[in-house]
Amino acid sequence: MKVEGGLFIGCAVFFGGADIVYWYFSHDPTGTTALALAVGLAFLTGFYVLFTGRRLPKRPEDDQQGEIEQGTGEMGFFSPHSWWPLFLGLSCGLAALGSAIGWWLFLLGMLCVMFTAIGFVFEYYRGEFAH
Amino acid sequence: MTAADPTAGGQYAQYATLSRPRKGSTLASWLSSTDHKVIGYLYLITSFCFFLFAGILAMIMRAQLMGPNNHLVSEQQYNELFTMHGTIMLLLFATPLFVGFTNVVMPLQIGAPDVAFPRLNLLSYYLFTFGGLILVFSFLTPGGSASFGWYAYAPLTSSVYSPGIGADMWIMGLVLSGFSTILGGVNFVTTIFCMRAPGMTMFRMPIFTWNALLTSVLALLAFPVLAAALLVLEIDRKLGAHVFDASSGGALLWQNLFWFFGHPEVYIVALPFFGIITEVLPVFSRKPLFGYKGLVAATIAIAGLSMTVWAHHMFTTGAVLLPFFSFMTFLIAIPTGVKFFNWAGTIWRGQLTFEPAMLFAIGFLVTFLFGGLTGIILASPPEDFHVSDTYFVVAHFHYVLFGTVVFAMFSGFYFWWPKMTGKMLNNRLGKLHFWTLFIGFHMTFLVQHWLGVIGMPRRIAHYPDLGAIATTLNDVSSIGSFILGASTFFFLYNVYRTARFGEKVTVDDPWGHANSLEWATSCPPPRHNFTKMPRIRSERPAFDLHYPHVKQGRSSLGVKQSLSASSSASSASSARE
Amino acid sequence: MRRKAPMRRKALYGAALAALMVALSGCTNNQFTRVGWPNPITKQGKVMLTLWQGSWIAALAVGVLVWGIILWACIFHRKKNDDLPPQVRYNLPIEMLYTIVPFILIAVLFYFTAKDENYVDKVSAHPDVTIDVTGFQWSWQFSYPQYKVPDSAGDVTLIGQPYPGPLPVLEMPANRSVEFRLNSLDVVHSFWVPAFLFKRDVIPDHTNFFQVTATKTGWYIGRCTELCGVYHSLMLFKVHIVTPQQFQQDMQAKQIQQQAGGVQ
Repeated sequence: MKVEGGLFIGCAVFFGGADIVYWYFSHDPTGTTALALAVGLAFLTGFYVLFTGRRLPKRPEDDQQGEIEQGTGEMGFFSPHSWWPLFLGLSCGLAALGSAIGWWLFLLGMLCVMFTAIGFVFEYYRGEFAH
Repeated sequence: MTAADPTAGGQYAQYATLSRPRKGSTLASWLSSTDHKVIGYLYLITSFCFFLFAGILAMIMRAQLMGPNNHLVSEQQYNELFTMHGTIMLLLFATPLFVGFTNVVMPLQIGAPDVAFPRLNLLSYYLFTFGGLILVFSFLTPGGSASFGWYAYAPLTSSVYSPGIGADMWIMGLVLSGFSTILGGVNFVTTIFCMRAPGMTMFRMPIFTWNALLTSVLALLAFPVLAAALLVLEIDRKLGAHVFDASSGGALLWQNLFWFFGHPEVYIVALPFFGIITEVLPVFSRKPLFGYKGLVAATIAIAGLSMTVWAHHMFTTGAVLLPFFSFMTFLIAIPTGVKFFNWAGTIWRGQLTFEPAMLFAIGFLVTFLFGGLTGIILASPPEDFHVSDTYFVVAHFHYVLFGTVVFAMFSGFYFWWPKMTGKMLNNRLGKLHFWTLFIGFHMTFLVQHWLGVIGMPRRIAHYPDLGAIATTLNDVSSIGSFILGASTFFFLYNVYRTARFGEKVTVDDPWGHANSLEWATSCPPPRHNFTKMPRIRSERPAFDLHYPHVKQGRSSLGVKQSLSASSSASSASSARE
Repeated sequence: MRRKAPMRRKALYGAALAALMVALSGCTNNQFTRVGWPNPITKQGKVMLTLWQGSWIAALAVGVLVWGIILWACIFHRKKNDDLPPQVRYNLPIEMLYTIVPFILIAVLFYFTAKDENYVDKVSAHPDVTIDVTGFQWSWQFSYPQYKVPDSAGDVTLIGQPYPGPLPVLEMPANRSVEFRLNSLDVVHSFWVPAFLFKRDVIPDHTNFFQVTATKTGWYIGRCTELCGVYHSLMLFKVHIVTPQQFQQDMQAKQIQQQAGGVQ
């Protein structure tokens, strides 16, 4: 995971340097804050990726001599199809439209968002998937 | 996209007649699909529809501008037209198109069975579609849609100067589609980091995938700023906050925040399409890509630098640090130039053929070059002071945006159509499409440079004082735009004809000498992409699989070799640097 | 090879002829040699014009080179047979060359940019004339704080209406340093006089300053160049540059006029 993490950390370092130079010459609070937050995001992601990578064994996809057989076995669970994204999307749309039209629609939308978000998250933990 | 199981046949053949697809089941399977390819097709189709709609808005504008004092539309309507044209083209066409292409192609290129979060992928599609519909339906409100330009400067966007629900729908529609892009970015970065096939190291990934990765990083950095600024603007409008009031310094605050998003946004819509071109050029030159590592480094440099140049859109405010932004903008020209020379190096001394995909790629090179050069000129504040906010800038960004997004989009369509649908688009129609588009585009936008320098500002419905030359140039531009619009019919007819009468492709690689991993699986691929996968030892695994006898790199100099295996080359398994 | 040689020679002759024409035209001053820009009527404008012309020469040189490479490859490197071309993947010396040369080019451009930018933006402490420009939806107001209207608290002020008018007229003297102070009453506008080759945004609650020294008299048009609402296209104004003596006379006349009858 070194390349991936390094990519983000490198960005964080570059943005940090640019931010310092920018603040020194401009004393502009808006741009300096925005760049500082970008440093935060890049550093957070990069650090997490490097940290996770350190405790993982060498992955076949990072191995220049990696063989396809090394990737056999179960990859994970892939949802075959799902209607929850449509319902959750519609609810978000209602809430967004409600922000424009009126608070009553916004409340209705947020109610729908609550229900559909719960349905979306727990889709593969309920019913026949419960354990 | 059929409901048929790719493993049908054999012991299950007896059951095939029992399942006949019910009417509407294809639509239902698409709407609930968690297959990255289907979601990608949904994105491509929806964003193309938005492209057509925004293109019609543009042609209405061009018709209005055919005379200095036309009244085809009112001034208010004209302001709505260019606001929505810009917003739709950038945020509902170009950005989702990136998500669409990446969805279709990237998992195949890295050997993954799907993306990391398939249902989140579908949710992102719906957020985009519903956000886009809210935006477009704002046209039907009594006050009309938003009319303050796609970058929505405060305080023009306040409830005082832009009353009416159209503006609120614009804001909330963009919030939704902004979240869609952020979630898409999360999905793509995770997929690329965690789901590559064995042997597919980061530096063997195709450049399209690298560009998709860096674009996703930019989306993660930039879109939250937009979403935050939009939500605060909505709070200002609806709940009476004063964040973007002029007296709180709101005018400049909005501009800084918006362009902090806005500049990375234009690289978000450029980089993936650079990636498409980088995939197409080597295939039709019959050579590997030139300067792979240089291209990766250049793309990383562009992505990083793009976060630090935002105020070059604000040179005329007198409120930004001119030398810093000017210098950073000049710096971006260098990695962009490196990419250009790498592309030129790819086609140099190749064996070029000009199928439509290649024509569009060359069209991109020719067009984007000019846009890049005018960009360097705009990066210099003393030169920008005169031409900022004029048609010179309009011409510049259409050269870079249209040249990149549209030319590369069509190049990608013609190139990947067999992979997506199992049929090849017609070559003759494709060439007609290319030439009418190319001629129409340049006729529309080349003269706009001249219009800008002689004094025509952008976003104006009338130009009463500019004289006869302006009318002539505008007429040329408008006629060009109608030709450009008409060229789309060749493409649409091609799509229809191919769907009805096209021959099915039976091989993995119909182009014959393609490089990346998606060309090592069937056309179209099975549900989870690969039933078997070749060993990955370079950045061109499909080529290595199909032509293991070909010598690469320096050992290929001076050696006469061809795609068909010859006895002398069979002993040397391709030498790698 | 016989068919290709005449073509190459023709291309080279054509390029040489084009270069000669461009070089010869540099001896005149017309819209082509100014690459479309209007003739500058200020000292600052002249400086910006030379930068524009120099940049275009450099840009077109780069453009001709790169377009040349692309078109050359498209014409002369087409598929001739089924042989695979050399499968070359990189060439470090060339790659370094085309990284370093562009860097030098932009370093030079940046040097001239910074120099000219400092000159254009220079604001002296004591300009000869000060004009308060106020933009509003959808016209302009020009006030002259150095020319007070007697028996009143105000300055000589001219206000106008959007096109078709009457457009506001901004009068200023030639050969004197004139400072513009820009303010907006409502939304963001932009004050652009194409003949100055310069614009500056007019932002509410944020006063902008710039100074120019005009070198020619005459009538010129000015425009708003930041979208400011429905009638943005019609927010025009006129600039009338006169001799300093004429300016004094006109200002004094206006002082008397406005003492009697209010703002025009």
